[in-house]
Amino acid sequence: MSNLTENAPAAASPAPPNYAQELEQLADLALLVASARDAMSDEMVARLARSFSEGVALLDRLTRNEGLMRLLQVLDRPETQHLLLGFSKALSQMSREVAIAPPARGGIAGIWQLVREPGTQEALRSLSVLGQYWSESMRELDRQATQGRTST
Amino acid sequence: MKILVVGGGTGGTIVANNLSRRLAREIRAGKVVITMLSASERHMYQPGLLYVAFGQMSPDELYRDQASLLEPSIAFHVDPVTNFDLDQNRVRTQSGSTHEYDILVIATGSRIVPEEIPGLAEGAEHFFTEEGALRLHKRLMQFEGGTVALTVSIPHKCPVAPVEAMFMLHDFFKARGIRDKVRLRYHYPVNHVHATANVARWAKPEFDEAGIEYETLFNVKEIDPARKVIHSEEGTEVSYDLLIAIPPHRGMEVIEQNKLGDGGWIPTDRYKLTMDGHDNVYVIGDATNVPVSKTGSAAHYEAELVAENVASFIKTGAPGREYDGRVYCFIEAGFDRATYNSFDYVNLPELKRPTKSVHWFKVAYNQMYWTTVRGVL
Repeated sequence: MSNLTENAPAAASPAPPNYAQELEQLADLALLVASARDAMSDEMVARLARSFSEGVALLDRLTRNEGLMRLLQVLDRPETQHLLLGFSKALSQMSREVAIAPPARGGIAGIWQLVREPGTQEALRSLSVLGQYWSESMRELDRQATQGRTST
Repeated sequence: MKILVVGGGTGGTIVANNLSRRLAREIRAGKVVITMLSASERHMYQPGLLYVAFGQMSPDELYRDQASLLEPSIAFHVDPVTNFDLDQNRVRTQSGSTHEYDILVIATGSRIVPEEIPGLAEGAEHFFTEEGALRLHKRLMQFEGGTVALTVSIPHKCPVAPVEAMFMLHDFFKARGIRDKVRLRYHYPVNHVHATANVARWAKPEFDEAGIEYETLFNVKEIDPARKVIHSEEGTEVSYDLLIAIPPHRGMEVIEQNKLGDGGWIPTDRYKLTMDGHDNVYVIGDATNVPVSKTGSAAHYEAELVAENVASFIKTGAPGREYDGRVYCFIEAGFDRATYNSFDYVNLPELKRPTKSVHWFKVAYNQMYWTTVRGVL
């Protein structure tokens, strides 16, 4: 005869259900809901619904806006982000430099001095190239608009 | 393909926006043009008028610019139609313009005609226009006690409005602390408290509990504002201190003037929602003679169906489905309880016990309406 069973640790029996505690939790939850309901007013419900409604309408407009979606795709590219960050940094540096620079003296001599600066020449070259590409884009937009009018 | 929508109310706006969404590609390609002609540059949320009468909404909350509710691809003109030339597929407008169409959607709505009952316009208040609702609100605020009678003339839009008004009157006077000084009397033209049997079955015990008196089979014949007496077609007389009337309605004058339908209600196929004898003319909302409630809800479901079918016709050459008569209406049972009414041609409404949650759903819907007419929800 073995005494293995007698010496083996007793198997863990499930804890008796604590209905009272569960009921108390349910009552707590019901109280919370009732309290939220009592605290709410028609005006609050209307305000919430208005915000939700306007939010949904705005989201709908934004997600169906093809131009915006294209813009987001462009913004998603690392080089565009790098460009915008660079532009933002340049703007910040420019505003700091302009703030501490002495006021421009004016006159032809001042312009001549400015034009001689390498930075000015770089800026003019950049603006010139930007203008060239921007004009092409504007002409393309005009072509599309003309096509649309003709087909309608 | 030219689609012309006449009327910028709930039905017209939903059908135009829905079509614009469904046919976005065709519109961009210049194959489809959607035009809307409306009598007003503003869009009104008409169910809100009941709340204005009880001081729960202000009139400015009921309006939005119509153009702001429409998809940008819809050509919108404030230029009401004066002549329908259905055989030539064109309409003429007040400004003298002519608009041709391949598909026409008529959503001109309905109007009140209190002048059809002698004394009603002078002797009774109502909440079917902004001015009427504001005047009624002032009268209710000034009322210090006596008999408030509500009469119902048919046909009228929003069939549950009389019942809602009675429950709201009860709660309004209770909130003012003078309910015990006010006798509420409800007069209805058929032999139940409501034409829909299940609504009547629900409302009657609620009336009893609220102490609202009712008289059925009471058809208003004439009002004597000087003596403050209502005469019924049945030969009875009722005196009042404040009379609120649900006035009789008709379709819009332009429909009657163009002889498109008796009483301004256009004969419409109840399933296809096309005008009888004109397959390219759709009619939705109050303007139809379809046997469903004249409510924004019916107009909404009809508009969605028409947009779906017109888009399907343009894309595939055949419409998609038929209208099943679906309507869903909230019913306010006072200031803080509501239930709802949902039915179609086959299934009758089964009303549930009014709850605060449904009331809040209605309060929320009053704001979400603007998203609905834009065609988002």
